[in-house]
Amino acid sequence: MPGPDARAGAIYDLGYRAYDGPRLGRAAAVLALYTFTLRGAFGIGRRTSAKVVPVTVTAFAYIPAIVQLGIAALLGSRIEIIAPWNYLGYSEVPVALFCAGVAPEIFGRDLRYRTLSLYFSRALQRTDYALAKTAAFVTALAVLTLGPLLLLAIGNGLASDDLPGYLADHWRELPQSLAAGLTIAFVAGCGSLAIAAHTPRRAYATVGVAAWFLITLPLAGILVAIGGEIGRFAAWFSPFDLLYGTALAIFGRTPGADSIQGRADLPLGTYPLLAAAHAAVAALLILRRFRQVQA
Amino acid sequence: MHLIETAGLTRRFGDVTALDDLTLAVPPGITGLVGANGAGKSTLIRILLGLLPPTSGTARVLGYDVASEGPTLRQFVGYMPEHDCLPGDVSATEFVAHMARVNGLPGDAARERTAETLRHVGLFEERYRDIRGYSTGMKQRVKLAQALVHDPRLLFLDEPTNGLDPAGRDEMLDLVRRTGREFGISIVMASHLLGEIERVCDAVIVIDAGRLLRQGPIADFTAVTGTLVVEVEGDPAALAEALRCAGLRVERDGPQLLLPFEGDAVLDRVRDACADLGLGLVRLERRRQALEDLFRPLPEAAHAGA
Repeated sequence: MPGPDARAGAIYDLGYRAYDGPRLGRAAAVLALYTFTLRGAFGIGRRTSAKVVPVTVTAFAYIPAIVQLGIAALLGSRIEIIAPWNYLGYSEVPVALFCAGVAPEIFGRDLRYRTLSLYFSRALQRTDYALAKTAAFVTALAVLTLGPLLLLAIGNGLASDDLPGYLADHWRELPQSLAAGLTIAFVAGCGSLAIAAHTPRRAYATVGVAAWFLITLPLAGILVAIGGEIGRFAAWFSPFDLLYGTALAIFGRTPGADSIQGRADLPLGTYPLLAAAHAAVAALLILRRFRQVQA
Repeated sequence: MHLIETAGLTRRFGDVTALDDLTLAVPPGITGLVGANGAGKSTLIRILLGLLPPTSGTARVLGYDVASEGPTLRQFVGYMPEHDCLPGDVSATEFVAHMARVNGLPGDAARERTAETLRHVGLFEERYRDIRGYSTGMKQRVKLAQALVHDPRLLFLDEPTNGLDPAGRDEMLDLVRRTGREFGISIVMASHLLGEIERVCDAVIVIDAGRLLRQGPIADFTAVTGTLVVEVEGDPAALAEALRCAGLRVERDGPQLLLPFEGDAVLDRVRDACADLGLGLVRLERRRQALEDLFRPLPEAAHAGA
């Protein structure tokens, strides 16, 4: 009779082994941080409760596009109410909710849990850290600001009776959507992070970001209406008005007479410039914050 | 080659001088960094990691200049801070694997080494749960794991037993010792508890108020002294008297008698005296100098030299 297999019951302690493989250095560190932050923004790899806000809010941002595609499918694609150029008007609330809900966690958790000293004692530099995290949040936000535009552009094309004809007329919408969606994500994302980066407290950051989006909106409306020659410049400083104006400029549309951009009557080309200035200032504020913050 | 070399390292925080013209050369091995709270231990470690710029002076770690070659150098060092540094909303596996990737390990290697390292520090099923639910001991293990996961050549541990109960403290010290001895990773361990340093380290650096007080192998600090310690069951006064009569210099120190060790004959005298008086001999040994003596002023040191 053969004896019992001696190996079957043995426990192998492999112990600790040295690592001789590649060390990919700084670029890989930045990429790792980018991926981890992007996953975290949607609660991937976290508890279910961490997924609720980002996933629902993202779904909300797609609803206008889905409704429009539904109308187009039922009633024919000529009826275009919700279009890439005015999409921000329908998705303001989900975008603001996403920024106010998710941006505070991007830097806030590292500040709160004091994880920064672990990052800064690795192959990352402070600037790398700030840029990787900012890029991750802008990417996450682009899922809300760019995704529905692409869905609309492509969906409308597929729903049309004459695809080549549609493409000939509307091909510009694709690069325009790309530009508008990314600009909105960039400006709103950097701005939200610049506010949120300055406090480890989640509640303060949420209120700060929400105020930037939502308090400026009626304020700009009032100033443009009653502020005369100077008040009309307020349209540059309310992020949603600024970004709506930027989208109009990118898609080459003229603002409606009743819209704030129409009433402010500022050259449409100034909106993208001001948007770029906002993003630049916000990015500098973020970089400055992480050059100075104690690790 | 020296692991760490500093020259004239100084760091001021406003009016406070945390490090004062510190010049060091640390050889490989497990080195204890000892000093009272606020002596500059953490500041030194943070400067060596590039987390904090020095006010003046230079430092090289593993041959790399801390100021100009920081990112390259930091691929090869691990750091376990004194303070909490773990996010609560991810699992240990998720976090340590992330840290491995930030250290430049490719995805597969990061996952594999995460599992190995967490097993090494003694974290098993609980590693899939969120860190927020961990005990202090488990958190300390995760902190050690994230410092070890990329197989560093040098490990900085800042008060690794902070907040642990005695059993947890023993386990952590054992883990540190094994990590240093069996895996050949050099370690710099800061602690204000001398007993811990004595148990784990090969060499000691003592800093006080940002200055280097002493440095050397641990044996130099715990050498056998010329004092014999005797402890008996029963009344030590009678024994002291008997020994004095035999011409020995005896001092009382609580229940212990201290006498100069002058050859093995002294041991025989003590044994015979105990036998004559019918006292049970509990302890008869040459006192070892303890690290504590460094911080203790003269009386004890005088004994040690006697």
